[in-house]
This record gives sequence, C-alpha cells and structure tokens, in this order.
Amino acid sequence: MVEALAVASGKGGTGKTTATLALGMALAEEHDVTVVDADTGMANLLFHAGLDGAETTLHDLLIEGADATLADATYERFGMRVVPCGTDLADFAAADPGRLRDVVADLAADTDVLLLDSPATLGSKSAVLPVVLADRVVLVLQPTVPALSDGLKVQEYAVSYDTGIAGVLFNRVRDPAAVEEVESTGADYFEGPTLGAVPEDDAAPAARRAGRPLLEHAPDSDAAAAFREAAAALDVRPGDSTAVAERFRQAVVPEEP
Amino acid sequence: MRPAGTVVYDRVVADAGAALSAALDRSLTGYAVLEPQDTLLLDEDGAGVFALRDGAPVAAAHTDTGRRGADAVADAAVSGPYRVTLHRHPPGPDHDPAAAVDPGVPADILADDAALAERTRRVAPADAASPAADSPDAVGAFLENEEKIDAIRERAREEAAERAAEWGFEDALD
Repeated sequence: MVEALAVASGKGGTGKTTATLALGMALAEEHDVTVVDADTGMANLLFHAGLDGAETTLHDLLIEGADATLADATYERFGMRVVPCGTDLADFAAADPGRLRDVVADLAADTDVLLLDSPATLGSKSAVLPVVLADRVVLVLQPTVPALSDGLKVQEYAVSYDTGIAGVLFNRVRDPAAVEEVESTGADYFEGPTLGAVPEDDAAPAARRAGRPLLEHAPDSDAAAAFREAAAALDVRPGDSTAVAERFRQAVVPEEP
Repeated sequence: MRPAGTVVYDRVVADAGAALSAALDRSLTGYAVLEPQDTLLLDEDGAGVFALRDGAPVAAAHTDTGRRGADAVADAAVSGPYRVTLHRHPPGPDHDPAAAVDPGVPADILADDAALAERTRRVAPADAASPAADSPDAVGAFLENEEKIDAIRERAREEAAERAAEWGFEDALD
C-alpha cells in the first residue's frame, strides 16, 4: 500500500526541502517512507541529507543507456530511504524527465509513503511532472502575498491533473497573525486543511549547513516540533501499490521534441 | 492619484523587485507605475501607481480596483514581469492619508524581498507612513479581493490545460 505525495510550493525559499525531510522523518515513525529529490534541475536535497558525496543519484537513472540501478541511487538515511538527485548540469541536460515515471513506479512498489520534493516552479514539463504523478500535493507556503499567489497556482494545476490536495503547511512563519488571516479570509480558497504553521527558526539553516535534516539536527527546536505536529495532521491514504505503480507507468509522458 | 511629470524610465523588467529597485537606484521623486505583464490574469489593464520620495514609495493606488494604501499594493501583486514607468515630478501636496504606505511594504508584498524593503525604509523620508501596514494586513487585503483570487485560479487552470496538451499530460486531465 502506498501514497505518493508531491511536496510543492511554486516559489523558492519556502523551505520546501527542509519540510520534505522533516515530514518524511516524522512519518517514518509509523510508515515506511521514501523521499525522492524530484527537483532534477536544481537539486538540493542531497546537501540537506549529507549525501553530497553520493556516487549514484536519480540523474544516473534518468539518463538513457546508463547502467545504474535503483538500489545504487537509494540510500538508507535517518530511518527513511532517500533518493537524491545530482547537481551536474550536463547530467540534467542528458536526463529524460519521462523516466522519472518508471523510477517512481518502481519505488511505489516497495514503500508506504513516497514523498516527491518538487521543483519550485511550474515552468517546464519536468517541473510539473511530480504534481501530475502524485496522488496528492502538500503545499508548503509562507503566509506572504507572493507565496500565496504561487501556491494557488500550484493547487489549480494539481486539481486540473486530478491530483488531490493533502493540505497546506505554512513554513518560515514570522507572524502567526498572517496564518490566522489566511485561515479566516482565505479558508475557502485552499482545497486541503491547514496542516500546521512552522515558525521561522535559526535551527533550519543551521541543520542545512550541518548537512542533516532538521529533525535529526535540532529535534527539540520549535520548528521540529511544529513539523511533527503537521505530519500527525496529515492523513496518509495508502492505495493499492500495484495500482499506483501501474498508474505511474501508464502516465503519458512524450519524448522531448 | 495620477502620475505626472517627465517619463525618465519605461521598460519591462523581470519582476516587481526589479521595478522597485529601478526607482530606488535613481532616488527618484515622482511616480512609478507598475503594470503586471500577465494581463490575461486580470483581463484588464490594472496597474499600481506609487508616489515616490527619494526613490521610496510613500503612497499607493490601484487604477482598476480604486483601492489605496496597502490594499492597492496587494491588488498589484502578481508574479512575473512588470512594465515599469518612472515619472520625475516635484513632490506635491500631501497625498490622501488613505493612500499612504510604509515605504518598505511594496517590496515586502510585491517582491517578498526583506533586504530591498529595509534598504527602501532607510532612504525614505522621516515623515513617511509608519510601518502600520504589516504583513497580516497585506495578506488579508490580498485575500479579500475575491475577483482577483478567482482570476488567478482560473488563469492557472487554463494554463494547466494548455500545458497538458503541449506536454502530453492530457490523460491526467479531469
């Protein structure tokens, strides 16, 4: 049984990768979790997870003719399986985003929760693909006008592609009153529930510099506690693994022109 | 609030941050008109008009919604490129108090750029509005504009459908 969740924002700087790993670690207490860096153009999950020396990454699986296996690119870290993506632009250029479909299908067969750290943009096919493939999207937003505007766009893309909204996670919150404002004035605009509000916390950049996920680096921080609460609020809805895997394989993704 | 004076700058820039920086870098006194280029989004030619003192916005109005102050800034908030027109004009009589904005608020709301907001506040005249238009107000003003939110959502759905055809995701469409 598996559910694939795309963690998306539509805008950079919302702390999406920190959120992906934090949700992953918190969910791993109860579920078998796999985290994939689906931001193939601007990979950074490897730096957050201390995997910048990883020899084989998702890129190696997306390049035609490469002989790397999924097992080579999968790393057991922090109680989860982590599939990092490389940062080499030449590898990115050679990668076929359509192959992500098969990688995700293979992973889906063998995990409960598949978290896809998605690109902070909707500007290309490879950026939108995780939202198309996932069962539902977790929107990671700051309670600011530009972030809300971009978050609404991601939501509409998701709904258009028949992908559900698992909830909205407010991150890097400096003023809790702004979140309350969204919940009162904007409650009707977002399809999913508010999963939580994570305060801006120096522990997050410190964790990133240390190359460790926030929940590993500063488990007692306010932000870590808020992420754990958000994960508890997320109602994971695992579907039949075979059906999910089959859906990924069937997803129509044409070759690049 | 109508822009007047000599046009000293008129071009399309990548985003609102670049537009506000253009005024700030020139220490311009006069007006800035910021027109989002994604006009499809609003189906209208709405623009944010900002009164400038020494490059810092001190008052704002929106040509389409007619709202003023921080509400007008929220109305002008769209991601993507803006056409910016800068008018040099001597400082006029005090603007309608309802149009006054904290000089850092446009950078905060339109560009989400705290450094630019801080730089703007430092050069703003001492009598410019105090930072009353804080973020929750701006978020509230943005979300209260139901028409605009609907337009953003509708435009995104259209874009998603267009791109599904372009990228071969048609099967995923509802």
